[in-house]
Amino acid sequence: MTMKKFVSVLFATTLLLSIACGKGKEASKEDEGEDDEQTTTTAAASTASGAPAAAAAPAAAVSADAATLTGLVKFEGAAPKMTNIQMSADPYCQSQHSSAPATEEDVVTGPAGELANVFVYIKDIKGNFPAPSTPVVIDQKGCQYHPHVNAVMVGQPLQIKNDDATLHNVHAMPVANSQFNEGQPVQGMVSTKHLDKPEVTPFKIKCDVHGWMKSYMAVMPHPFYSVSQTNGTFTISNLPPGQYTVVAWHEKYGQQEQQVTVGAKESKALNFTFKG
Amino acid sequence: MKPQEPIPHNYSISRLNLIFALSSLALVAVTGLVVGYDYIRGWKWFQLEFMRMQRERIVQEMQVAKSEENTKQLAALDEQERKNSLELARHRDQYMTAQKAFDALEGDHYRADQDYRFAKANLDAQRYITEASVVQHRADAAQQQAEYERQSAHLADLQVRLQEVTRQRDAAKANIDQWLKKIKDAEDKKKELTASVDLLSKQLTTVDMGRFSTNWILSQPMLDFVNPVIKIDQVVLNDLSIDMNYMNVPRVDRCQTCHRAIDTPGWESKAEAARLSQELQQKLDAYQIPQEKRAETEERIAQLKRIQDAPNDTLNPWRTHPKLDLYVGSASVHPLLEYGCTVCHRGQDRATEFGRAGHTPASPRMEHRWAERTPLTAGFFPLPSDFAQRHWGYEENEFIETPMYPRHYYEAGCIKCHSSQIAVDRGDDITKATQTVELYGCYACHKINNWRFSDLRKPGPDLGGIAEKTTPEWAFRWISEPHNFRSTTRMPSFFYQRNMIDPSVVPPQERTHNIKLQDAEIHAIVSYLFDKSTHRVWQQPGAGDAGRGKQIVNSVGCMGCHIDTEQVKDEKSGQIRLAKREDFPLERNYGFNLTGVGTKTNSAWIYNWVKNPKSYYAEAPMPSLRLTDQEASDVTAFLLTLQKPSFMKTAIRPPDRQAVHDLAKGYLINTLSDRDAESKLRSMSDHEQLVYLGQRSIEKYGCYSCHNIKGFEGLKPIGTELTVEGSKALHLFDFGFMNEEKWKNEDGVTEHVIHTVPSWVYNKLRNPRIYDDRRTKVYNDKLKMPNFHLTPEEARRIAMVVVGLTKEKVAENRMAGLDAHTRLIEEGRKRVSQHNCRACHVVDGRGRAIASTIADANFLPPDLSPEGARAQSPFLFNFLKDPTVMKIRPWLGVRMPTFHFDDHEANTLVTFFAEAGKGAQFDTTRGANPSPANVKIGQQVFTMLRCAQCHGTTPVNPENPPTPNTADSTSLAPNLTLARLRLRHDWISDWIRRPNEMIPGTRMPTNFPRDAATGGFQSPLALAIDTPQFAQYKSTLLPLFNGNEKELKRTMSDAVALTDYLRDYIWSIGITQMRSASPTGDAPAMAMPQQSLPPATAPAAKSTRNQRAIPAVSGGAGR
Repeated sequence: MTMKKFVSVLFATTLLLSIACGKGKEASKEDEGEDDEQTTTTAAASTASGAPAAAAAPAAAVSADAATLTGLVKFEGAAPKMTNIQMSADPYCQSQHSSAPATEEDVVTGPAGELANVFVYIKDIKGNFPAPSTPVVIDQKGCQYHPHVNAVMVGQPLQIKNDDATLHNVHAMPVANSQFNEGQPVQGMVSTKHLDKPEVTPFKIKCDVHGWMKSYMAVMPHPFYSVSQTNGTFTISNLPPGQYTVVAWHEKYGQQEQQVTVGAKESKALNFTFKG
Repeated sequence: MKPQEPIPHNYSISRLNLIFALSSLALVAVTGLVVGYDYIRGWKWFQLEFMRMQRERIVQEMQVAKSEENTKQLAALDEQERKNSLELARHRDQYMTAQKAFDALEGDHYRADQDYRFAKANLDAQRYITEASVVQHRADAAQQQAEYERQSAHLADLQVRLQEVTRQRDAAKANIDQWLKKIKDAEDKKKELTASVDLLSKQLTTVDMGRFSTNWILSQPMLDFVNPVIKIDQVVLNDLSIDMNYMNVPRVDRCQTCHRAIDTPGWESKAEAARLSQELQQKLDAYQIPQEKRAETEERIAQLKRIQDAPNDTLNPWRTHPKLDLYVGSASVHPLLEYGCTVCHRGQDRATEFGRAGHTPASPRMEHRWAERTPLTAGFFPLPSDFAQRHWGYEENEFIETPMYPRHYYEAGCIKCHSSQIAVDRGDDITKATQTVELYGCYACHKINNWRFSDLRKPGPDLGGIAEKTTPEWAFRWISEPHNFRSTTRMPSFFYQRNMIDPSVVPPQERTHNIKLQDAEIHAIVSYLFDKSTHRVWQQPGAGDAGRGKQIVNSVGCMGCHIDTEQVKDEKSGQIRLAKREDFPLERNYGFNLTGVGTKTNSAWIYNWVKNPKSYYAEAPMPSLRLTDQEASDVTAFLLTLQKPSFMKTAIRPPDRQAVHDLAKGYLINTLSDRDAESKLRSMSDHEQLVYLGQRSIEKYGCYSCHNIKGFEGLKPIGTELTVEGSKALHLFDFGFMNEEKWKNEDGVTEHVIHTVPSWVYNKLRNPRIYDDRRTKVYNDKLKMPNFHLTPEEARRIAMVVVGLTKEKVAENRMAGLDAHTRLIEEGRKRVSQHNCRACHVVDGRGRAIASTIADANFLPPDLSPEGARAQSPFLFNFLKDPTVMKIRPWLGVRMPTFHFDDHEANTLVTFFAEAGKGAQFDTTRGANPSPANVKIGQQVFTMLRCAQCHGTTPVNPENPPTPNTADSTSLAPNLTLARLRLRHDWISDWIRRPNEMIPGTRMPTNFPRDAATGGFQSPLALAIDTPQFAQYKSTLLPLFNGNEKELKRTMSDAVALTDYLRDYIWSIGITQMRSASPTGDAPAMAMPQQSLPPATAPAAKSTRNQRAIPAVSGGAGR
C-alpha cells in the first residue's frame, strides 16, 4: 500500500514538474445556507437547551434561612359518607374488622370538614436533593394499606409489607417508572422497590385479590411534600426562601395550585379547599 | 552536387504551420477546458468539503484528547520511569551480570540449536544412504547401518543438550525481564494514554489537504487519475438489478460519492442526535441493551451529546443516515454493501450530479431553493461557489424514469420487497399506509395485483336488500352527501363536487345545469336500487328496554368495531366539533358509526341484523354476538333511539324531466340512432326511464365496485389499475391546469400541486376533481372519482402506497417473508386484519381498540401476544369456530363473537398463532401424566402460595362454568380445571414464573421476582418454609422428599422446580373432555325472513314507495 502510494507520488511529482501547473482551488469555507430541514431542527434544539439554563439551583443542604409552610385542607359542602367495605370475599379480612367494619378511604373527612389524604407538594423546585436511605414503608394490615397516600423520593427504598395472613398482591401502576405486580403469600413478607424516575402525580397501587384495596404513591425529586393528616393539616419544612407554586392533589377531587412566597426563616400558612 | 530542389507544394507551408499551430493551441485549450471541467465537477467539491469538516473535527477531538490525556497520570508515569532507571543504575552490577549470563546463554543456545539442526540433516542423509545400501545389497550395508545408529544416538544427545540450554536461557531471560518489566509496563501505559492522540494524528494525515501534502499533489488536475484521493465511490448490486426494458443491468449506487458520512455514525443532524440519544438512553435505562454492549452504547450517547452541543449543525449531503440500525449500517438488516441506496429511495443510481440523480423536492419552497442560481453561472454548470451557497442547480427532468421519493414518502420504497407482509417490522408508516388503503377499500375500484390487496371483500355493504333496510328518501340524501349523515363515514361523496358546482371553477349557468343533471342521476340510482331490491319481511323484535340495550351495546363488545358518537372534544381548542375518522383508532372505524342508525333503518331490520348479520347477506363482515331474543330486542330498542332527524329535513329536489331525458338519451344514442332513441324513450314510463338511467349511472360511477348490486355481477372494477402505478412516467399524469398551482382545500388551507407523481396522487386524493379546474368538458367526461374527505395524513399515506407500487423487480432472495414459516404467519395476519381481531385483542403487540370504552382493565378481552405459546392448537381451533365450547372467564361482559369460520380459515389462524408464538403446531406434551408424588408436592406449594385465593379448583362444565359468587368480582381468575384442555403443558410453569414479562400489566402477580443483580428467580418459600407458620406444610412435605430436609429446602428455593410442581398439580386436576365445535359453527336459531315478496308481484306497494321516493316529477321542459 505505502509502496504503491510512494510510486504514485513520485509519478505525480514528475508530471507536476513537467506541466508546472499551479491551479488550485480551495474549497470555500463559508458557512452554508440553510436547508429546509435546517430551520426546524435548530429551532427544536434551541428550545430544548434553553430550559435548564433558566433554573437556578438552590443549595441542597438545609440552610439556616429555611422556611416552613403549614396549612389546612378543608372540604366544602356535604362530605360523602364513608361507606363500609364489603370484605366477605375473604373471611380473614372480615375477621380483622369484626368489631367495626372498615370504611372506604377515598374521601376521609374530619368533624369540621378537614380533608385527609391530600398530597401537597412544591412544584418545579430545581436542585439536587439526595434521597434518604431510610425506607418508606407501606403496611398491608387488615386488608388495607397504611398509609393510604404517601410519597418516596427518587431512589429512596420503598418497602411494602404484608402483615396479613392472607395473599396480597402489590400491583403498582406507575406511568414513568416500571410497573410491578408481586404476590405476597406469606405473612410478614417484605418487598423492597426502588423507583428511579420522578412521578409527582401519585400513581395507584392496588391489590387484585381484594378489589377495595387502593393506595397512592408519588415519587418526588425533592423532599418538599406532605400529606394532610386526619385533622387536615400538613407541614412542609426546611424550604429555601423563594416563590413557589404549591400543588394539592386529591385522588377524587383532582388538584389545585396556589402561589406562595416565603421569606427567610418564615413560617407561612396556606389553606386549600376542595369542593365536592 | 546540386542542392535539392524544394519540393513543390500546392499549399503554403507557412500557412499550414500557422493552421497547425492554431489548431494545436485550440486542442491544448480544449484539453485544458476538459481537464478544468473535470477538476471542478460538483461531487468533488462535496468530498473536499467533507474532508475539511473531518479535519476540523479531528483537530477538535485532538485538543480534547490532549486535555483529557490526564497530564497528572503522565507525569506520574514519567516519574516512575525515572525511578526505574535510577533503581536499575543502582543495581547495575547485578543487572549487567544477568545480562552477560543471558548473552552467553543466548550464544550457547544458538550453537546448540545449530548443532542439533545440522545433526538432524545429516541423519536424514544417512538414513537414505543406509536404506539404499541395504536395498542394493552393498557391502558396506552393515557399516552404514552402524553409522546411522551412531548418528541417531548423537542427535538424541544434542536434543537433550538443546533443551537444557533453552531452559537455562529462558531462566536468564526471566531474570532480566524482571528488571525490565517495570520499565516496559510504564512505557505501555504511556502508549495507552497517548493512543487516542496517535490514532487521531494518523487519521488527520488521511484527510490532509494542505498545500503540497500527498493528498493535495494526488488531487491536482491531470495527476488525479493516477491514484486519486477524490474519487467516485460506488456499490455494485448484482441481484438488485435495473430493468432496462430488454436486459437487466446491475444497480451501481454512487450516492456515497457525495453522501460521504451516510454510514458513519457521528455526522447526524442536531435534531436527529437529540432523538437518537433519547431513544438509546431509554433503552439503556430499560435494560434492553445486553451487558456487553452497554459501554459501547454509552459511548455512542456521549458522541450524540457532543453533536448536540457542537456550534454548527451538519448539513446534507454529509449527514449520517438517521436510521443506521435499520438501514445502511453494516450491522443493520439492510447494509449498504448489500442493498445500496436507490433500491429504497429510487433515483438514478449512476448519476453523480444533483439534478440528474433524481432528487425530488417535497414542497415548492424546496424546489425553488434547490433551483436557485447565482447570475454568474445561470444556464451553465454550477461552480463550487454555488454549492457553498447551497445552490444545487436543480432542474426538473421529466426523463428520469425513477425519480427519488420525496420526503414523507420514503417508506414507499419498502413495498418492493415487503409486499408479502401485512406489517413491516419497524416500518410503522408503510404498515399504517397499507392499512389505510385496506380500510378505504381503494383496491375495490382500482385493481391492485398484489398479495396484500387481493382476496379482500367489497368494502361496502350488499345493496340487494336495501328496501328492507331503509327508505328511498334516506338513500337519496345519503348518496347526495354521506358526510351530512355521518362525519366519519367511509362512503365517499360523488355528487356536487368541485368540478360540478364550485363557483371558482364552474360558470354559473353550467352550475345550475350540472345540479339538475346530478339530481336526476341520484334519483335514478335510488330508483334502480329499490326497483331491484328484495322485499323480505323480517321478524319484529319483542318489547325491548333501551336502557338495558345501551348497557349491552357498551359491554358486549360492539364498541370494538363501532363508534357511537359524532361529537368529539377538540384537544387543541377544547370545543366540541364533528368527529373525524382519525379521532378514533383504525379498528373502531371498521364498523359503521352508530349515530343515526334509528333514522336510517327500522326495528325489524336491526333486530335481525344484530341477531345474525349473515342472514341479511352472506359476506357480512359483522360476526354474531349470540344475542338472545330478549337481548336483541333490547339492543334494537336502544339503537332506534339513535336518531338524526335533522338529516331527513333537508329538501329533496324532484328530478328534472328534461335532465333525465337528456342523460338517458345520451346513453341510448351510443347504440341507437337519434330517432330510435327518442321513440324508445317515449315508450318508457317516467319510472322506467329513471331505472334505465339508474343502471347506466351505477355503471358510470362504479357503485358496483364496492357494493354488491343486482345486475352488475362480475363486472371489472371502475378505476385505473394501480399495480404498477408508481412506475408510470410523469408525463402520463394529467395535471390539467394545476401544474405548479395552489388551491384552497375545504379547511381553507392552501395546498400545492408540484410537478411530481406523489404530489399529483396526493392532491388527487385530497380533492379528486381538482384537475378539472378551468377545463371545458362535457358533463359525462368530467372526472368521476368521489371525494373521501381524507385528511392530509391519510391522503399522504395512500399516495405513498400508490407511488410504492412499481414494476421494479428484485431478486427473490431479497424479497422479505417468502419462506414457508413467514408465509403461514402472514396469511394469518391478513385474516386478523380482515376480521378486525385487533378491535378487541392485542395481536403482534398492537390493538385492543375497545380498551378506551371499558373502564376497568380487568374486564378487557385477552392479550393474544403469547397465544401461540399458550393455547393448545386443538382447543384454539374449536374455540375459534365456536366460542361457546369453553367460557374461560364467565364474568366478562364482553363476548368472543362467532365468526362462522370454515375449517380452512380457523386452521390458518391457529397456524398463525402457533408459528408466530414459535410454538409447535401440536403440543406433544398434551397427554403428559404427572407422577402422584409431584402432584402432592404441587398441591402443597399451591396451598402455601395461596393460589386458591383467586383460582377455583373444582371441576366445572367448560361450556357454562358458574360465575363465582363472591362480593368482590374483581378478585376472580380462571378456573384451573380448564387449564389442561386449553393451555400448553410447558407454558403453565413458564407463565407462573414470569407473568408480567409475558403480558405486562396482567393481574396475575409475580410470585418469583427476579433478583436485580443476577436476573435469577427468587422464591418466597425459601425462607418461609422454616417459619412456624409453615411448620405444618414442612411436615407434610418432608416424607415426599424421603425425609431429606436439605433437598426440600433446596427445592423450596428453586423457582423452576416449584413452578413445575405447580404445573403438575394443575395438570392433575384438569378435566379432559370438551365438546367439539359443531361443523357449521355455533348458529343460534336464526331469524329467517318469513315471506318474500318479489318486487315484480307488488306493483302497488312499489309505486307508493316510488311516489314517496320521488315527489311528483316536476313539469319541466319535457311536457
